[in-house]
Amino acid sequence: MTVSPGMVGMPATARPRRLMRTIGLSGIWLLLLLFIVYPLLMLLSRAFIDGGHLTFDALFATLKSPSSLRALRNSLLLALMVGVVGTFVGLLFAFTVDRASLGARTARLIDAMTFLPLISPPFTTSIAFVFSFGPRGLITYDLLGLKNAQMYGLTSTFAAETLTYFPIAYLALRPMLASISSNFEEASFSLGGSRWHAFRTVTLPLIIPALANAFLLLFGCSLADFATPLILAGSDFSVLPTEAYLQITGMFDLKSGAILSLLLLIPAGLVFYAQERFVAGRSYVTVTGKAATAAKRNSVSSSARILLLMFCILTVALILYFYALLFYASIVLGFGANYTLTLEHYRVIFSEGLPAIKDTLFVAAIGMPLGGLYAILVGYLVGRTKFVGRRAMELISMLNYALPGTIVGIAYLLAFNDKPLALTGTATILIACYVFRYSPTGIRTTIALLQQIDKSMEEASASLGANSLVTFRRVMLPLILPAFFAGLGVVFIRSMTAISATIFLVSINWSLITVKILENMTEVALGPAAAFSVFVIVVVLVVTSLLNAALRRMTAPSLRVSRIGT
Amino acid sequence: MAANSLEITLAGVSAVFHHKRRGDITAVRDLDLSIKPGEFLTLLGASGCGKTTTLRMIAGFQPPSSGQIRFGGEDVTHLAANQRDIGFVFQNYALFPHLSVFENVAYGLRVKRRSRSEIESSVAQGLRQVGLQGLGDRMISELSGGQQQRVALARAIAIKPRVLLFDEPLSNLDAQLRVQMRSEIARLQKELAITTVYVTHDQEEAMAISDRIAIMNEGQIVQIGKAEELYQRPASPFVAGFLGNTNMIRGRVLTMEAGRATLDVANYRWTLATGVQVKIGEMCDAVVRPEALVLTRDGDGLKGVVESRVYLGAKAEYLVRVNDQVFQVVQWNPVAGEFFEVGQGVCVQLPTAGVQLLRVMEAD
Repeated sequence: MTVSPGMVGMPATARPRRLMRTIGLSGIWLLLLLFIVYPLLMLLSRAFIDGGHLTFDALFATLKSPSSLRALRNSLLLALMVGVVGTFVGLLFAFTVDRASLGARTARLIDAMTFLPLISPPFTTSIAFVFSFGPRGLITYDLLGLKNAQMYGLTSTFAAETLTYFPIAYLALRPMLASISSNFEEASFSLGGSRWHAFRTVTLPLIIPALANAFLLLFGCSLADFATPLILAGSDFSVLPTEAYLQITGMFDLKSGAILSLLLLIPAGLVFYAQERFVAGRSYVTVTGKAATAAKRNSVSSSARILLLMFCILTVALILYFYALLFYASIVLGFGANYTLTLEHYRVIFSEGLPAIKDTLFVAAIGMPLGGLYAILVGYLVGRTKFVGRRAMELISMLNYALPGTIVGIAYLLAFNDKPLALTGTATILIACYVFRYSPTGIRTTIALLQQIDKSMEEASASLGANSLVTFRRVMLPLILPAFFAGLGVVFIRSMTAISATIFLVSINWSLITVKILENMTEVALGPAAAFSVFVIVVVLVVTSLLNAALRRMTAPSLRVSRIGT
Repeated sequence: MAANSLEITLAGVSAVFHHKRRGDITAVRDLDLSIKPGEFLTLLGASGCGKTTTLRMIAGFQPPSSGQIRFGGEDVTHLAANQRDIGFVFQNYALFPHLSVFENVAYGLRVKRRSRSEIESSVAQGLRQVGLQGLGDRMISELSGGQQQRVALARAIAIKPRVLLFDEPLSNLDAQLRVQMRSEIARLQKELAITTVYVTHDQEEAMAISDRIAIMNEGQIVQIGKAEELYQRPASPFVAGFLGNTNMIRGRVLTMEAGRATLDVANYRWTLATGVQVKIGEMCDAVVRPEALVLTRDGDGLKGVVESRVYLGAKAEYLVRVNDQVFQVVQWNPVAGEFFEVGQGVCVQLPTAGVQLLRVMEAD
């Protein structure tokens, strides 16, 4: 008899599985190295290696240039403002829905309305802003009669981003609030404190980690946002992603673009570090909310309730107004000039715009299954098996997701421009970009599902005579299948809506709807831009609601999986 | 006993886990165990004693670091769990949440590629045996905890396994249901006559359900036997203390002849019948259960004072201080007038027969 010291978690049934796992592992590592590590190394070497030597001259030069510094400062300022205000708005929404005893229908409406910005193309709010507050805007020109209203700059960028991203804070905060039993508040209330006092001394301290998390999420989103500033920031208010884009597409200066994008890395890295270090481990949430879910919440006074409700309704109305405006602009001849109803813009996007639509759908269609498969493979390996480098695999797989799209786009541009991997201008590079950038949601879903599936499930199957393949097929696969569809759904949504990375990767042969929208905006072809946006929103809405319905049906009753798009 | 029952033998089985910081941890140490065909054997012990690890090695979920495991004549030490032909009932039931009750019970039969008609009749029989007939279409999440437990049981027996293994199956049920389920498990096991190993930390459950109990501590079996043997003749203070409450009454042997010993307990001469051979002059601990002691107002016995009394209806529990030792005494059917009050002086009558004597190791 030999002693096998590492026998923990390695039953005798493991032999065929181990071979498969080795093959799977090597394959995944190869992909990760090729599509995540290698491009980033190329980006770093382009920025910091000159003539075979490591040099930071270019970095210092960039740091000395007033325009770069201004872009950095603007980016940070914008992200800070969006983070603070967006978190606050998200908190108000979460508190209203969870604590202000809303009817089920009102809560659902708010849920649906906050969901909308999350699945829309990045320009949606910006375009609606232009329609509303631009020189020929509905409010500025038609309503207030202002001529040549100046809307471009910090204020409108900030407002549009806040409106786009606050739902993320809402989604992050609501479960936290829900899991804090209102008994705490009642206890404080019963001890003689006012409701406001109860909120300030009990609820607020309990959700501080969640608030910090929401802030960091929004900060990161704003920092990486490319589309909104491109439309709304104007020439006086430059931010890093747009500055890097202009350096590369305008000046053909890849090196400066690379360095500018890397400046983004510093705050992005700090955010990531802060999340891991301060937020992840500090969850006070006490899941004792059994009775609290059924009990009627009574945390706000009636006047506060009315104020909160009014705020939420106004915000929701604003979102609705923007989307209605977008739709309206897509069916009139010339927004701001000629309000004759027409389907001309739709004819344009389905004729001249058809190649972009076809390309986008093609890229999405290929990327979806690949992304879903990649997500459950990596998720299974990371979440269910033990191997050297597991933590590294998890981190690397998250990298392209965590990094601002501008960095990823430029890195791909640098890595796949030349032989041996000349992929620039092909569909492959677009698909790869989406799969590796947007599958981490699916990976997370897989891991979360696996955490809910006890190891004894596999043992039960083995005890009943099933080998590991049968166990995987009959037990594990059905249970984690929702993660496959969740992963696939996210890849689809992003394939339809993302732009920050892929703007660097499109070509004459392969274009995307989002890029077409941007072109339309710069050519002031507002009608087709609006029509494209409406088209994307409708497609994404239909596909996600179908997928979500399927997801609910196929998820085993006792397991939980979060909705696609959140 | 059914003809297909087989014996389970463990010979010199150890399980060593490697821990990153604490080095090698021996969960099971050189364990020998033989479970007779058709027998219901319970591994009883506190958490961390190695009972679950032993069970998991029998199941094949964990290979032993050394030693041999045999089912009948067959060496299964290196056989994977899915080839051992076992029925395993998990603590958390491990029912497949995406499958119906019927499909859960049918799972093992489908894996074994049985015919459709055989699957239907076997599942129906299994559900009937656990009292769940007619619930085949339900989803697992629609069942109560007790019903889930029954499905887990039906799933395990549906494949007609060679061996039945239970890992604390009742610990998630409430007290009343636990009592009901344990008698059903016992009944079913006798009916099927499948050799069974059952793991629990609940001594009452173990005594109620098992043919024999193996008490485990620190990876080893410290005593094995029928419930009454273990209770009445514990081989060590550990077993005596683990199974039921006990008083350990220490005394020096004064005389020992013909199965009768006289002990000097705090200057009281206690003569008792015992099956244990002790030497004159030796120190001994007498294992005396609380219900074997009798309190009287006066008479022959150890003089003490009542420290506390808990009235529980069917019985009253006393703590009585005798010199520097506190005795637990249980009085069954306490009727008014026979009560003893706190602070009252009493006489503790020691039993004269059926007392287990344990030698005190001089090193203590």
